[in-house]
Amino acid sequence: MAHKSGFQKRKMSSGVILRDTLLTLLILLVATAIAFGFFHVVPENSANITLVYITALVLTARFTEGYFYGVAASLVSVVAINYLFTYPFFRVNFTLTGYPVTFLFTLLISIIVSALTTRLKEQADALVEREKLLMDAEKEKMRANLLRSVSHDLRTPLTGIIGNSTTYIDNSESLTDQEKLRLVEHIREDSNWLLNMVENLLSVTRINQNSMKIATSLESVEEVVSEALLRFRKRLPDVAVTVQVPEDFLMVPMDAMLIEQVIINLLENAAVHSGSELPVELTVSNDEKKVVFHVKDYGVGIDPNKLDTIFDGSSYTPDSASDGHRGMGIGLSICKTIIAAHNGEISAVNHTCGCEFTFTLPITSEK
Amino acid sequence: MNTNTLSRNTILLIEDEENIRSFISTTLKNQGYKIITAATGTEGLHLSASLCPDVILLDLGLPDMDGMDIIRQLRTWTSVPVIVISARSNEHEKAKALDCGADDYITKPFSTVELLARIRTSLRHSSQMSDQPAMHQKPYHHKALTINYSDHVVTLEGNIIHLTQIEYKLLTLLARNSGKVLTYTFIMEKIWGPYVDNNNQILRVNMANIRRKIEKNPAAPEYVFTEIGIGYRMAESD
Repeated sequence: MAHKSGFQKRKMSSGVILRDTLLTLLILLVATAIAFGFFHVVPENSANITLVYITALVLTARFTEGYFYGVAASLVSVVAINYLFTYPFFRVNFTLTGYPVTFLFTLLISIIVSALTTRLKEQADALVEREKLLMDAEKEKMRANLLRSVSHDLRTPLTGIIGNSTTYIDNSESLTDQEKLRLVEHIREDSNWLLNMVENLLSVTRINQNSMKIATSLESVEEVVSEALLRFRKRLPDVAVTVQVPEDFLMVPMDAMLIEQVIINLLENAAVHSGSELPVELTVSNDEKKVVFHVKDYGVGIDPNKLDTIFDGSSYTPDSASDGHRGMGIGLSICKTIIAAHNGEISAVNHTCGCEFTFTLPITSEK
Repeated sequence: MNTNTLSRNTILLIEDEENIRSFISTTLKNQGYKIITAATGTEGLHLSASLCPDVILLDLGLPDMDGMDIIRQLRTWTSVPVIVISARSNEHEKAKALDCGADDYITKPFSTVELLARIRTSLRHSSQMSDQPAMHQKPYHHKALTINYSDHVVTLEGNIIHLTQIEYKLLTLLARNSGKVLTYTFIMEKIWGPYVDNNNQILRVNMANIRRKIEKNPAAPEYVFTEIGIGYRMAESD
């Protein structure tokens, strides 16, 4: 009877066998108990009892693997109905009229349901598989985009540094002091920019490349915000930022270094690329499930055509490079990667006089 | 900056990268310090034994020795302030170096202003250690915050701030070491004793409460700064 189903791809481990056996027994026991109840209340109507057992069969087939348990349960049910609930009671009597038909139908039901549920499980597995493939493709695309913008973005400051220093060395006699100072200033500017980029790239290495997951620990939101702000002020001391955090003391699972990087990138984006007149606003709000960080500026806003792709790292296009701003593409795509790894969400919207970036972090870590 | 007020303190720089050695030496010389450099850990240990510098700047990524070992060896015979120079990405390494006995750290790349501030703080703390009892009496003062250790009174803009016992102990610990970063482990042991478990949530909750009492905006603190993954640093006393 225990034919190994050809449909079963997964190897049956002993744990699964034990679980399924126990489950089958439990369902049958419950069914028998209910049937007894019925039998005592309305002894005449035995159709109810059959229905109870059929329900038990369907459930067994649905929640166990393969055909075996369903078929076994159907055999037990048929015998149990015969033994317990038909005259003569507590005796097996297969000579009752129509009994072979009952037997055949219960068997048939359980086989059909088993086949259906096995198919269902297979389809679900295939779906998960396909989703994984899609995700892999997505990751690959992200990586390719990143590489593309990185190589462009790295080459530019390096060209500046090499060019300026070469000019200085080659022409040191003919240059005035002021010109020399200008050259060195440019070198410093480009190096700082390079450093920022390298820091962004380094932060990505903290994300596990296979699972796209990170090692989180409980961190206090206000501490992370304050440190991010301090680091930002060190880099761009002249930018005005107002900051507000909730009165509640919030501990949220995260990789603090990475979240700081996100905050810094968003602040820099708001300060440098929007041409904001008023101070940039950094506010944090929370509800039971998540913490929401807002970075709001009062600048030129984002081209609506680019809103959808702004986090893809592909927003580096010939015309965006010619607007005089250095590529924010990689910074924002790194923000997205980091927030995605935290199971959070990041979005950008235009408001009436500027734009607002928002990202969320779940308060409870997902298992 | 005035170069004469700083007497010729000797600084030993142990760093293998020549470019970095040269820029730090130039900066410090310009500030009136006497500077000795070593390119390897072995050389650095020799020089620190023979020349007794006032501060040691130690790069953690040396080719011949593990930085932690250098700190441990130094600590067997000297309490000279050691400032660790480290690359950003790993907080654990910094915390470990501090717990090994380093006094402070500075992250690459750093500005010369930062470096000089760290050196000044370290020099001040090492001179304090020789006359500690007197220093205990000197109140902490920075911006609007004053801590009077002898009266156990903390005031902000002249108003008395009510702190719990633990909060007061925490704040004075940070204030006595102002300008210096204190690790979670160090603070936990000082406040809750050596047998406290290493879950520092209780410390963070207390710090959050202190912040709400003394800082105008907890997200933009003026007195106590967080160094995530490492510990806390209080603004230097005026």
